[in-house]
Amino acid sequence: MTTHRHTQEISGSPAGDDKLQGLLVKLDEATTLLAEARAFTKPTKLPRVLDTARRVLMQEGGAAEVEARSQALEEAGIFTGSDWETPQYLLPSLTTHALKSADPNMVVIESLSELRLVAVAKGEYLHPLISAEQAHHYLTQVLALNLWLLFSTPSEAERETQGRLAQIPRNLFRHLADRIGYEHIIDKLIEEIWRILQQRPIQVDSVKQMITQIAICQADPSIDLGLSGQGADRLVSSLFGPTQACREDPGVEIYRERLSSMDSSALQSEATGFARAMHDTGLASAYHPVLLRHLLDHGDHLVAEALGLSSTGRDCLLCYRELVHALIRGAVHPATPQSVYGLALMLERGILYQPPVAPAMWRQLGLSLSEWSKARIELAYGNEVSPRARLLEGVLCMLGLPLGVGQGNNPTCQSARALSMWAYNDPDYLLQMVAWAARDDEIIMHFEGMPLSSMASLEGVAKELPVDLDPVSLLVVPHLDRIYAEMGRRCIGRDGDPHRWVNPEFHGWWSGRGFRINVDVATGQLHDLDAFLRHFYASYHPYYNGNQPLIHPQPAGIAVTDSAARFIGWHAITVLRVTLDPSDVMRIYFYNPNNDSGQDWGDGIKVSTAGNGERFGEASLPFEQFASRLYIFHYDPLERGELNKITLEELDRVIGYIHRSWGSDRIPPTELQADQGPAQA
Amino acid sequence: MNKDTNKGYIALLGWSLSAIEAAENFDRRYVVVAPDWAEEYCTKHDIPYVPWNFERLNDRSMEIAETLNEMGVDVAIPLFEETVEWAGAINSLLMDKPRLYGQSLLLRDKALMKRRAQLGGIRVGIFEEAHDKGDVIRFLKRVNQTLLKLDGDPNDPIHLKAFDKAGCLGHRVIRTPDEVDTIPDEEFPVLMESHLDGWEFAVEAWIHNGKIAFLNISEYVTLGYSVFVPASPELESYRPQITAQIEKLIKAFDIDFGLIHPEYFVTSDGEMYFGEVAYRPPGFKVFELLERVYGFNAYQASMLVFDPKTTPDEVKAFFPREVEDAKCYAGCFGVYPRRRVVSRLEIPEEVEDDPYFESHELTPPMEETVTKRTAFGTHWGLIYFKGDEAARMKELLKNMEELDFYV
Repeated sequence: MTTHRHTQEISGSPAGDDKLQGLLVKLDEATTLLAEARAFTKPTKLPRVLDTARRVLMQEGGAAEVEARSQALEEAGIFTGSDWETPQYLLPSLTTHALKSADPNMVVIESLSELRLVAVAKGEYLHPLISAEQAHHYLTQVLALNLWLLFSTPSEAERETQGRLAQIPRNLFRHLADRIGYEHIIDKLIEEIWRILQQRPIQVDSVKQMITQIAICQADPSIDLGLSGQGADRLVSSLFGPTQACREDPGVEIYRERLSSMDSSALQSEATGFARAMHDTGLASAYHPVLLRHLLDHGDHLVAEALGLSSTGRDCLLCYRELVHALIRGAVHPATPQSVYGLALMLERGILYQPPVAPAMWRQLGLSLSEWSKARIELAYGNEVSPRARLLEGVLCMLGLPLGVGQGNNPTCQSARALSMWAYNDPDYLLQMVAWAARDDEIIMHFEGMPLSSMASLEGVAKELPVDLDPVSLLVVPHLDRIYAEMGRRCIGRDGDPHRWVNPEFHGWWSGRGFRINVDVATGQLHDLDAFLRHFYASYHPYYNGNQPLIHPQPAGIAVTDSAARFIGWHAITVLRVTLDPSDVMRIYFYNPNNDSGQDWGDGIKVSTAGNGERFGEASLPFEQFASRLYIFHYDPLERGELNKITLEELDRVIGYIHRSWGSDRIPPTELQADQGPAQA
Repeated sequence: MNKDTNKGYIALLGWSLSAIEAAENFDRRYVVVAPDWAEEYCTKHDIPYVPWNFERLNDRSMEIAETLNEMGVDVAIPLFEETVEWAGAINSLLMDKPRLYGQSLLLRDKALMKRRAQLGGIRVGIFEEAHDKGDVIRFLKRVNQTLLKLDGDPNDPIHLKAFDKAGCLGHRVIRTPDEVDTIPDEEFPVLMESHLDGWEFAVEAWIHNGKIAFLNISEYVTLGYSVFVPASPELESYRPQITAQIEKLIKAFDIDFGLIHPEYFVTSDGEMYFGEVAYRPPGFKVFELLERVYGFNAYQASMLVFDPKTTPDEVKAFFPREVEDAKCYAGCFGVYPRRRVVSRLEIPEEVEDDPYFESHELTPPMEETVTKRTAFGTHWGLIYFKGDEAARMKELLKNMEELDFYV
């Protein structure tokens, strides 16, 4: 095991080294005690490990030593029962808070988790839940979000709250940068930011933070970034100075003054500049709302220009002029710049032409929020603008970017998928849900004729109320989650998988009532693969279904695997389109409520998010690769395709993928048994 | 761990995670007897459990003894002061030795215990029971008269202790009649003792078949603050005398098996004075220290000597040689906040950087205002040290008293 010591520091001297070695002996002792402890006494052994680790991390070279022990530490159980136990769900944006905490244990456990992921990213620790690539992505984002830790000494505030503890995150980050690679770190960050932005998420706060960090480093003369960071200009300018009149980031007030003295050609050029920056990146600057509000008095031509609308969007704007103006007044503020982007894309989608949508938007404009809803929004977003404006921004963004919905750090993929599906396919229904949740604190859905109230069933899939969500999800998901869980409870005791009944009732009538699953619920073994795949091909593959493009988005379940093709868990997604990609490969385009769709599922299956004909927010895979990770789908039994036309070779290729990945330990003892009759469980 | 059904089946009286952990890792079958709030935890973690609320002994007390008897339990081990007489009552039934119950009552009452010790030819200080404040003032005056103090000389203090509480709970030091007023009436009756100037220490002795199987001397640096094991060579030099004292104690109290934890003073002339004795594990985590020093688990040691099915050979094989086999000195210090208002926990740098410092159990303060200590009070958590020299350990522990851990 190599240790990375910083030669520029004298404290790597023998004395310091002795001290580190002494502490490491103590750390190993404490770790062994924890590892050998029974589950029920682990909590009592944990403080000693954390405290000793803290002292090790304070030492020069301590981070490297802890990294080398990270697998042993994790196996001993330091993360057991905490959020860090499931690294695949960790959110990079939460690290900043944890590392700034005054609680030593918080700082230490966060650092231990980071160091463990370095070992994973370097391939030295094969982790059962997270792949090397995921770990690498995560760490790059963590570095990006916390660049200040690399380049600054502790501030007065940090010293006040953390004392000597403030040294730990700095030691940690120097080590991370060493391991992940110092010189290109900024470039990798920029790449990472673009990769995320290409998926056009609704929530861009963490992306904005990363860009801000880069901007701060670029502006600081004491930081030498060398040649790196060139590609950040578009990102930084889109946030802080997209146009001529705000190039030097003068502040909102000064910009407003400048606008008042501009003629229409100057305004025109401002409008074009903003629109270009916004559509390039998916990010809107805080100056953009200032301009847009100013332009309300200067004609719709300029408004359309500032939104960057095509002829479709412009038509929609002109048709619903009053409504759009009201939406701008109500939702577009310097504190809610993404509302501009949401509005622009919503107009482009033309959904206002569906009769119920415009009136529903008027209701949304005047909606009075319950005290609970207001409090939840203020808790999550502060009170810079009114909760109603914040929610309106969220509504515009969700309707403009239905595939940008993310589940955050919560096990609520089903609810996120439903919201996305409604925004995509049934926008007025979504608006109805928002009104019920935000105004009435209650949603009632029906399951097989029985009304289910979100207030009556107390427990959802998620045990805690989420806060890391967009405004619409923030208010609606807790209700949906409880209803979803209740629908599941109503299916207890039925033979087979509950999704068969729950999905159509929960998501909408268009979810096919035909249902296939390739896993035997009772045994977990693969079941009837051949028929499962034939039905899938015959329903979804244009070559076998009479060249019928998919009509409605369909819920489906996938077996997620990591980059080593090991099974990670079941996950809900939406199948959106099936069509030939630019290189004539039949592809499935789908929506993944997970916050980042770009994933490596192993065995050569890499989910693509751009470059293969994807629209913003879509993920895609070649048809057979997708089929190999599918375990549940719905279809319309009356629209059956040609089951027999599908060649055995094609199916064998898919089955090969399954057997090499999540199905490897689910192959039933003999195929005969698996073929006997319908599902028994 | 695999359980050996040829060996004893043990009931642990009271809730102690460390004891349960030790039992899990030991070859004896066991069951935890604890109040019903422990039930959920035990069910969740598969810990064998019988619910029982240890209040005062009453008519229903036989129930628990009968339940355990029916389960085939061979012996009950008290883990806390409050469960000592329960263990006596239960064991007298399980082992059919009615005498055990009486013995446990002796061990539970500090005044009775001193009388018994005195009868056994063991030296004790002057003591008396007090039923009200008047008794205390009288005793204080009489003790100081005996010491030939004149009016105006500073009094020698006297000590007040609850009859039946563990360690420092309810322990007060009284120097002047004014201080007597600060004692709440509900603390009476209490035991009063004269102050003995000397070196205070404690012993943990495991007894099997009426003989000492292992005798540890725990050296107090400052009573209520710090302790370390094994004792320094200076105190260990008294080991033969101390062993003789313990043998007297075993005889006086007719102790056949179990763990005793007595406290003594050695005065400057080398005379030993008996303070008190407890029939349960010591507080202040001496068990943890012993494990660090010798590597054996002291709870398992107790289970071993309590179990009537244990053979002498097994006992011999279990225990290391006293002092000789010690790998190091291990000590701990109980932290009390020194300031009236505290906002956070901060381990002083000099402590953390000390090579003897091992770990701590301190938690951030729950409240900003520190309640004024009455009597000896309870510490906020322990810090552990480990090292090779007794003198350095002693000095270190002493220095801790001058440091702020809560600022």
